[in-house]
Amino acid sequence: MNKIEKQVSKRNFSEKITTSIHYESPSNSNPYIAKECFLHGYNYKDLMLKCSYSDVLFLMFRGELPNKHQSELLSQLMIFFINPGPRHPASRASMNAAISKSDPSHILPIGLIALGGSYLGAAEVRDSMKFLKNNLKRPVGEVVNKLLSDKADVENEHVVPGFGNRFNSIDELPNEIGNYFSKMPASGEALKWGNDFAQKLNTMTMGWLAPGVVAAVLFDLGFNEREATGIFQIISAPGILAQGVEQGFKNLNEMPFVEDDDYEFRKDKE
Amino acid sequence: MNSEKIKNNTEYWDSLRGKIKSSKGGWIPNEDAYSHGYGILNELVGNISYMQMIVLNATGRLIEKKLADWLEANFLCLSWPDARIWCNQIGALSGTVKTSVSAATVAGVLGADSIMYGGGKPSLQSVSFIQKALEKYKNGRTIEEIISQSKKLNGKPMISGFVRPISGKDERIKPLENVIRKLGIEIGEHLSLAYKLSEYLEENYGEGININGYTSAFLSDQNFTAEEVYRIRALAVASGVTACYVDTKDKPGESFLPLRCDDIQYSGKPPRKLSG
Repeated sequence: MNKIEKQVSKRNFSEKITTSIHYESPSNSNPYIAKECFLHGYNYKDLMLKCSYSDVLFLMFRGELPNKHQSELLSQLMIFFINPGPRHPASRASMNAAISKSDPSHILPIGLIALGGSYLGAAEVRDSMKFLKNNLKRPVGEVVNKLLSDKADVENEHVVPGFGNRFNSIDELPNEIGNYFSKMPASGEALKWGNDFAQKLNTMTMGWLAPGVVAAVLFDLGFNEREATGIFQIISAPGILAQGVEQGFKNLNEMPFVEDDDYEFRKDKE
Repeated sequence: MNSEKIKNNTEYWDSLRGKIKSSKGGWIPNEDAYSHGYGILNELVGNISYMQMIVLNATGRLIEKKLADWLEANFLCLSWPDARIWCNQIGALSGTVKTSVSAATVAGVLGADSIMYGGGKPSLQSVSFIQKALEKYKNGRTIEEIISQSKKLNGKPMISGFVRPISGKDERIKPLENVIRKLGIEIGEHLSLAYKLSEYLEENYGEGININGYTSAFLSDQNFTAEEVYRIRALAVASGVTACYVDTKDKPGESFLPLRCDDIQYSGKPPRKLSG
């Protein structure tokens, strides 16, 4: 062993990758080829025939299939937020890549990277879940009052992760859908608390933001912060890809390019 | 509260529709492209190094060539083509399934956007630590007191910049010290303090300063903030990732660290039937 190998082995690295999610039984003729694959014990072929995509996604992370109410909530969440739309910076990143003829395999990752941020992105879902977890045992009024006393600019944008306003207005659709989800049978303390919190904020031109709704639903379905971060990206992926790929078929001039007169910058040295 | 005043007021965004107002720079066709007021084609090309340009774009500061040379040496220290290092392995795995070199390199760079290792993110904590530590030290706190205030894990202080995932001793520091001497850069008060902290930690806990702590202290002496150091060093591992990608891209597919089915240790539920 050379010097580094000795140092590595001192740290007791595992000899194998371990997982509790996926099992492959090897082919009789070649140990590198799988004969059957199982997800938390269920054969993928059986899942393919009997389950919905969103149920299998739930199984993947939670280890068991969802009950009827959980299945309904996750499926509806995944449909409602399937496309952030062509105005979202993540979609626009994928559209920019596509129309400038980036490799088609890059379109989705580019959009998802842009969807990773702490402002309307996956990191905001993570932070919002943390906020909900840390606060949902406290009375809503107490949390709102604390915010009012702590923040001079309380009405600005994202007052806490997952809640606030956009363009100086309540974001209407997340508010409507957050309220709707909070009444569903599978909704739990995060959706209910979050909806009460959003309603209190409404009087200050704030409320649910999309990442807050997603965080609350995923919390109530038992997902953790790390999982929720990526699941938000999975949920939004179809729309981000579709919006990008659509532009890929077009000429470069079929998307706006800011004119020189509309591009301002300082030419003097700082 | 002025909620009513701002409610539905979209003047700010209306003024930005279809316009870009950059505080960094831009391109004037047939004239020049500018970064922080410097004409890239007419002033910078041929006169500054690429590393100086990286720092200018990341921070707005046109640093001296010798400092850029030190940074370049610093990047070299994170450019090892060893495919066991996590970010490099991402490059190698991408190569073995034949992605593009850009995708592999970007993926590896993102892999190293880690709180544990890599070029940039740990700087956020370690720069902040050493800058606060110097403040405390100047206010009369001892080395022991500064270290005792840090978080502990299994009795050992957990200070970003002063531990290492695999190897305790960081062999990358000595060559960088040589570069400092060669370039005639003076050791400042952050780095001096970092040496004292390292000495104490080595004596008492067997963990010394690592390249991140060293870099953070050195760049603090050059008046960079934590966020600036993160921005400058964001791509520091890129070259090593590319090397590991190239190594596997040119070999048969799936030949990098191939796994048999039984090379995975399964610890989950045994096969079961779906009900219904």
